[in-house]
Order: sequence, then structure tokens, then C-alpha cells
Amino acid sequence: MGNTQELKFESPSFFQRLRGMLGVDFYRLFHTPMFYIFLAIAALIPALIQGTSGMENPQTGEIAASLYSNGWNIIAADTPLYVVSQIGEYANMNMVYIFGGIMVSIFIGHDYRSGYVKQLFTTHAKKQDYMMSKTISCAFAMACMCITYLIGGVGAGLLTGAEFKGDTVSIICAIVGKIIMSFGWASLYTFLNVIFRRYFGISIASSFFFGTGILIIGAAAILGNNSILNIFLYGASVYACLSSTFVTVLVCLACSLAWTVIYNVLGTRILSKSDVY
Amino acid sequence: MNAIEIRNLTKNFKEKQALCGLNMTVPVGAIYGFIGENGSGKSTTEKLICGLLAPSGGDIKLFGRAHTDADVRAKVGCLIEAPGCYPNYSVWNNMMLQAANLGIKNAEEEVAKVLKIVRMEGAASNKFKNCSLGMKQRIGIAMALLGNPNLLVLDEPINGLDADGMRIMREVLVDITKNYQCTVVISSHILGELEKIATHYGIVRGGKMIKEMTAEELDASCRTYIALQAKEMSRAKALLACKYNRVEEDEAGYIRVYDMTAPEDIVTYLYENGILISEIKTDKIGLEEYYIDLMKEKEGR
Repeated sequence: MGNTQELKFESPSFFQRLRGMLGVDFYRLFHTPMFYIFLAIAALIPALIQGTSGMENPQTGEIAASLYSNGWNIIAADTPLYVVSQIGEYANMNMVYIFGGIMVSIFIGHDYRSGYVKQLFTTHAKKQDYMMSKTISCAFAMACMCITYLIGGVGAGLLTGAEFKGDTVSIICAIVGKIIMSFGWASLYTFLNVIFRRYFGISIASSFFFGTGILIIGAAAILGNNSILNIFLYGASVYACLSSTFVTVLVCLACSLAWTVIYNVLGTRILSKSDVY
Repeated sequence: MNAIEIRNLTKNFKEKQALCGLNMTVPVGAIYGFIGENGSGKSTTEKLICGLLAPSGGDIKLFGRAHTDADVRAKVGCLIEAPGCYPNYSVWNNMMLQAANLGIKNAEEEVAKVLKIVRMEGAASNKFKNCSLGMKQRIGIAMALLGNPNLLVLDEPINGLDADGMRIMREVLVDITKNYQCTVVISSHILGELEKIATHYGIVRGGKMIKEMTAEELDASCRTYIALQAKEMSRAKALLACKYNRVEEDEAGYIRVYDMTAPEDIVTYLYENGILISEIKTDKIGLEEYYIDLMKEKEGR
């Protein structure tokens, strides 16, 4: 309610705008039960996989075949396996990206269902700020899920006596690579939710669809275990395996960053050119 | 300088043209009553001003600048339909989130200030979902007031409110414009309420602005009339119709003789014709009737 006769325009800087929006997104993230539920799910699923593999059937006395030869396989495969031949090669930390996609859809979808975007886009906030803020907060949430996944998987493995073997540096590189990939995935899901912002169900379904990496798995069926697939989010995520090196981390960083930029630019363009509410 | 200047604004939704070359001028400091039937383009125009919709064509300038400029957007507060709040958060938390969005430094102080303006300071701890419709609308206005805006765009803020809610809202809006010199654009179907506060009017129909005027101009355009009730209404009406240009019977059962200011002439005339008047008063048509007349005129009725 400033005095209109002394109207002064102050241009808030990009960082000022982003800081405000990030503050809101992180506040929401930490004050919604959904975030903690997804953290728990991320921990529970690897724990269940570790716990049930190799378990004795009480009726028949038979021991179920173990999914993994190495306890660390709950995090990643031994080598980059783009072509999946058995479920154990698929069931690793990459699953976080699927749950993460659903979480991002709910998180962003709520902005539209509650009408909160009206409050956002009628202020000085730019569409670019929105894309960046959502990407950063959702990537943070997915990175947290990676950590609880690690704790759940390793904890359950230790309890069930799974054998953990491998090079420490490679394992750390694989985990760091997977966490870095959260950014790329979060930007993809933010982008999908911007496209399908009026259709909550479709945005969840599309996040799930792309999160499974089905397109890259399909491409791998034709191309084989080809390193060219590392240019895609799912490919680079698979590349972060138990034989990772610092180069793997760099590849993940480059891929994640490149897709984050691409999806942010596309999302910003769509929001700028279309009706937001 | 005008707070809002819109030229040839168009907006298409697929096949439907919601706005077709709308022009609008809102002077700084005005309370601009934005009137029109359902689907006439009021909400679309307001959403375009607020940046929620992308225009198909035309130009929107706020305080002389493009309406998409981040710096000018920081000077605009909006309430479109209903406030967009998180239902499970308290009023206070929702307000604080908006303050964070706006980058307000002394957020707590500012939030307390605007809640006081809209008389909601006592309900700050209530969950948003537990607030009544009237309270929610006032919270929406409080949110729009955060960050010291120079322009408020309010879409149907008084719809669905009870008489007391409307009174509070009216007092709040008058208070804002008087004490804080803020320009307000307010759309509503409740024209009687709008008439009490608006200083300027814009009437939109079929996606076009058909009339813009000040409250003074409206006042001058509104015709005066004498309303009366007599024992023999139909004969009285027929007699009056012979002598005066425009005689009508209104919904309340009064005979209205337009453009007349001397009731004694009518009293004498009817008395001479053997009709006794039981009630007589002079009045002026209000915004609502002016609007209805204008709509009839545009429809060619």
C-alpha cells in the first residue's frame, strides 16, 4: 500500500527471488508428512528386498534364491547393465527415482490443486524461478531418499548377514553419482508436472512411466550395453555402478546438469507462453 | 499516469474468444468497479492483468510498464476468485509463506499489520481450512496487501458473504484506498455494494468494454423519478402515461414517472382526475438499474 505518488520500482534480484521461493518450498517440504512417508518408503523397500532374499520358506524348508551376489548390489549393479535380464539387476537405488517422481508429482500438483500458484505467479516471481526452486527442493528430497535407501538397504543387509564386498572408492562414487542424478530426475519430473499441471493423474502416471527408465531399457534392447546411453538420465544413473570411478561421477554430473538446464529452459518457456492457472 | 492501461486486449481459449479488443483505463487512486454479466470477460481480464493468463493479443501496461515486468509485479496484489492457500496450514503460516515469496524482510511485523487491516488478527492461528468464506476472502485481501502494493486486483471478493461480511469488506477496501492510496480494481455482481465504494466504473460485455465512467458521470446519467402508489393503480398509470414521457410500474408495485422532480404537479394532476395518492417519493435509479438499462439498450430491447 505504498504511496502511489512516490511510486518506486525496485527490481528484486534473481537470488532474492529464488531465495524467497526456495524458503517456501523447503518449508513446505519439511512440514508435509508426505516427505517423511517417502523417506520411510525409500528405506523400507531395500530393507524388504534384502530381508526377503535368501530367506528360508518355513513350510518347505527351501531357501529362496538370493537376488544379489553382493550386498552392495542393493545400491547398484556390478557393471553398467542397461539391458536388464533379471529383476535383481533392476532393483537398486534407481528405484528411488520412481518413488521420487511420484513424490514430486504430489508436491507440485498440490500447488495447482490448492490454487497456491495464483499466489506465486501474481507476485514478482518469474517462471524460471519457479522451475529452479522446484527442481532444487525436489532434488534435495530425492537425495534424502537416496540416503534413507542406503541406510535401509545396508542396515537390512547387515542384519540378514548379506556379504558386502567391493572397492570403497567405487562404492562411494556410485552412491555420489546416484545422488547427483537426483537433480536431473527432479528437473524431468518438474517439467512433466508443468506440462500436465491441470491433470494430476496424468502427471503422476507420466512421472512413473519415465522414472522406470523403460524407454532406455527398450533402447538398450536394440543397442546393447552401449555407453552412448549415458547421455540420458536413466543411462547415466545405471552407469553409476559398483565399478564407478571419478569419471563416472563427472559423467553423472554432466548428464544431470545438462538435462536440468534443458528441462528448466523448456519448462520456463512453456509456463511463459501458456496460461498458468 | 494510469495504474492500468489496456489496449486492444484479446484472449482466445481454443475456439472461444473471451476478449475481443478490450480497452480499459484505471487512473491511479481509483476504486474501479468492474461490471459485467457471467462470461463477459471480467475474470479473464483480471487474470491477464495478474499474469495468470497469457494474452492472445493487445497490450497491458501497469503504471506505464509492461505488466510482466518483475518490478511492476511486485507492486500488484491480487485476489482471483479465492485465495490460494494451503488448507492444512494456519492463516499465519500461509501469510508467512507469501511474505517469504515476496522477500519481505520484517515479515512478522508486516503480516501482523495486514491481518489487523482486514480484522483477522484474532484468527491467525486458525487452520485455513477451518475459516469461514468471509474470513477466507479477507485472508486473500490480506495476502494481496503484503508487500505494500500500489494496485489491488480483486475478483468477486464479496460474493457469498453475509451482510456483516460485506460491510467489513467494504470498510476494509475504503480504508485501504483512503489511508494507503492504493488503486483497487474490483469486480462484483453485487452492484449495490459496489456503488457504495467505487469511484470509477467499467462495464464489459461480450469481451469488450462498452462503457467507462466516473462515479460522478454515473450519477449524472442516472435518471431521477417519482415513485407513487395510488388507490386505482391502472387508471393512475394510464393517466400519467398520457401526460408524461416515461411511466413504468416497478417490481415493488410503484408507478415510476421518470425525469420528474416536482411531485406536487403529479399530486395535483391525479387529484384533479379523482385519484388519491397513498404514497409518493422522489428517487434516482442506481447502478444496478443503469446497468440493466444499458444491457437492454445493447441488446436492442
